[in-house]
Amino acid sequence: MLTNQPLGPNQVTGAPLPRPDRSAAIQVYVPEIAKGLAITMGRFLKNTKEMALSQRNDPTIESISGGINCVSYPEQRRPYPERFRGVHRLTHRTDGSPRCVACLCCSTACPAQCIHIEAGEYPEGDPRRGYERFPARFVIDELRCVFCGFCVEACPCDAIRMDTGIHAAPYDSREQFIYEKDMLMSFKGRDGSQESENPRHEPGDPTHPGIDREHGH
Amino acid sequence: MTFGTLFVLSLIKAFAVVVGLSLNIAGVLTWVDRRQGAILQDRVGPERAVVWIPRRIAQGAVLGPAVLAAVGALALFFFKDAEGAARTTRAVGFSHLAIFVTWFTALLIAGRVRVRGVKSSFDAFIASVGDPRHIFYFGLGAHLLVLGLLAALAGTPAGETARDFLYGAGPFVFAFSALFGAAYAAQRFQHERAGFRLIGMLHPAADGLKTIFKEDFIPPGGDRFLHKIAPFISFFPVLVLLGVVPIGDTLCFGSDEQGRIAFTKLLETVPRDGICPTSVLGTGAPVHAVRLQVLDLNVGILFFFAMAGTGVVGAALAGWASNNKYSLLGGLRAAGQMVSYEVTLGLTLIGALMIYGTVRIDEMVRWQAENAWGIFVQPVAFVLFFAAAIAETKRIPFDLPEGESELVAGYFTEYSGMKFAMFFFSEYVAIVTLAGLTTAVFLGGWHLPFLHRDGIHMAIGDTVIFSQPLTHLTVVLLGVLGFVGKTVALCVLQLFIRWTLPRFRYDQLMKLGWRKLLPAALVNVLVTGLVVLAIQSASVEVQRFMGVLGQLTHLVVAVAGLVGLVLFVRFLLSRAEHQRVLASTSAQFAAAAGGTQTSRMGA
Repeated sequence: MLTNQPLGPNQVTGAPLPRPDRSAAIQVYVPEIAKGLAITMGRFLKNTKEMALSQRNDPTIESISGGINCVSYPEQRRPYPERFRGVHRLTHRTDGSPRCVACLCCSTACPAQCIHIEAGEYPEGDPRRGYERFPARFVIDELRCVFCGFCVEACPCDAIRMDTGIHAAPYDSREQFIYEKDMLMSFKGRDGSQESENPRHEPGDPTHPGIDREHGH
Repeated sequence: MTFGTLFVLSLIKAFAVVVGLSLNIAGVLTWVDRRQGAILQDRVGPERAVVWIPRRIAQGAVLGPAVLAAVGALALFFFKDAEGAARTTRAVGFSHLAIFVTWFTALLIAGRVRVRGVKSSFDAFIASVGDPRHIFYFGLGAHLLVLGLLAALAGTPAGETARDFLYGAGPFVFAFSALFGAAYAAQRFQHERAGFRLIGMLHPAADGLKTIFKEDFIPPGGDRFLHKIAPFISFFPVLVLLGVVPIGDTLCFGSDEQGRIAFTKLLETVPRDGICPTSVLGTGAPVHAVRLQVLDLNVGILFFFAMAGTGVVGAALAGWASNNKYSLLGGLRAAGQMVSYEVTLGLTLIGALMIYGTVRIDEMVRWQAENAWGIFVQPVAFVLFFAAAIAETKRIPFDLPEGESELVAGYFTEYSGMKFAMFFFSEYVAIVTLAGLTTAVFLGGWHLPFLHRDGIHMAIGDTVIFSQPLTHLTVVLLGVLGFVGKTVALCVLQLFIRWTLPRFRYDQLMKLGWRKLLPAALVNVLVTGLVVLAIQSASVEVQRFMGVLGQLTHLVVAVAGLVGLVLFVRFLLSRAEHQRVLASTSAQFAAAAGGTQTSRMGA
């Protein structure tokens, strides 16, 4: 309840704050300035010395200790965790073609709608015609991408991955962020591989279940 | 001296002082103030501005000077023999230079190897030394060994041999170390281009370039002419102010057959007393004195006040011509503040003028060299003068004319592009100017303790402690270095004050100026007058005692400088103590992955 009654002396609780010391030494002001300067100088000299003599602490490890704590990107980088989601790549088959079968699962799953796929049919007579398609165009707008990794989860063929370890690069125009299929296929995984460990079951392989568009279950 | 010679000489001096000293230091100060101030707050300021240099050119830039120095040293050894005292000087000089270059190069390489890891067999050898401090200790030991050996064996045949050995070995070791260090650095350029960053100092240069191309805005209702001319009015005075400050001792030149000044005939040595001898020893040819100050005015420091007084006009005009209430308020504040503090600035100097008995700044410096530095005879005036000088530069804690929290940007709110940059930069030039003047009036100008016109002579009263004659050129160069060093130190002190102190309130500023600094300055004048009167009427013994006291102050300065140097080296050698704090899971992961990954940019 609000009242306009002033608080009486009995109602005040707690110790009063001490008044700032107003001694002559402080009123003269110069010694206090000297003290302040000493603190500033000490800090400046220490940090400058540690930077010049390469004695800086490691900013990514000692993130709350004293001294300069900043990473001079791009000369210095954080180590990325194993499952860090970097720029996408399209994995290869053994013949160098993309594993992607243009099923549109990834572009459907994408919350940012940054994946655009144009599916292409294999030519007449190719054993894969009628069994699967291939991406005639596979475009990712890296500027729209939110790096959620849903496309990787959605892919039934392990064809799209985000294990390049590449930090999304800064460019100076929007066109440069549109990654086409060739570019996506040129990236390597962090282990240097472009293929996937998971085997594929091509038509004609002994492991192939023999299912295609004409011959169903 | 003819008018033509005088004109060219003045032009050279003006260029050296304005561009070489004032603008250069101001440029570096801009960088230090705006960028390196971040270091206080445990950040690195922006330092990314870079010029890419092709690898071959970068290698040439590293190797070229080293090759030149090495060839020069060897040529001196093979083609220009020295005998007698000069031989000893050269042996000592070259051996210490060689030792210094050797340990310093090794130290640099060791530091780099520690950062980026062992890459070659030489890296492995350097790394096997362990702590890079060992290299410094080793170098220090070598210096002391050479010094001690020469001192112990002086005058004996063994000493002759040692000197001859050092005389021969010095240039070769120097050449080898310089070439090896440069070659090592050159082969480290492994990418096609090398980034030239100049420890981030290109950043203000880039900023400065940028302002040239930015829009030059003139407010529609403003006074176009005054708006255009105001930055020049505020920039010009601070540039010319340093003209009356001598940056070094007077140079003495000989003359040619017609008795005109000959710039190739710099006197070898000059006597300790007086400025220059009247004639060259032996030939009797006249000696020409060249003062190392642009304007040789006999009103000296009065010119300083005349020009400093016009500085207020620029700020006030800028505020008026902008047609903006914030600008106007800023301009009025600037005018009020600068006029108030100029009174203190002038009155603090009255005490100094009473003691020095002159308004010529070079004569003030000579008085300080003979007796004691101004900071010892006028300590109160020094503090008051320095405070008023900071107020004159309109910088924190006195930066109310441009107080961002109240006035947007004060009197230059409506300025953009290069005109804004001129206001901005004139502040930094003013720092250099006032630091230079403070140095000359209170810190002995070009004078270094016990450095006389003819060499280093350490004496207290009649007791001579140490004596080493030096050439005229060396003495003057040391003096110029001393002046620049003191000026830079005062500039840096002003930056630290800016980084440390909060801004005053305007009424506090006025109270400080009129009710504290001004009475203090008046009392200082009164007390100074009484003391000067007392000393002048005192007996000869008291005056002799005052002379010894003056020499003791020089000793204090010298010892303080030495102690400061030792403390600084100790500070550099101290270990950095960091606690490894793995506070977060990401820090734990980073530690497991080896910490921050460093790579060279520029591929």
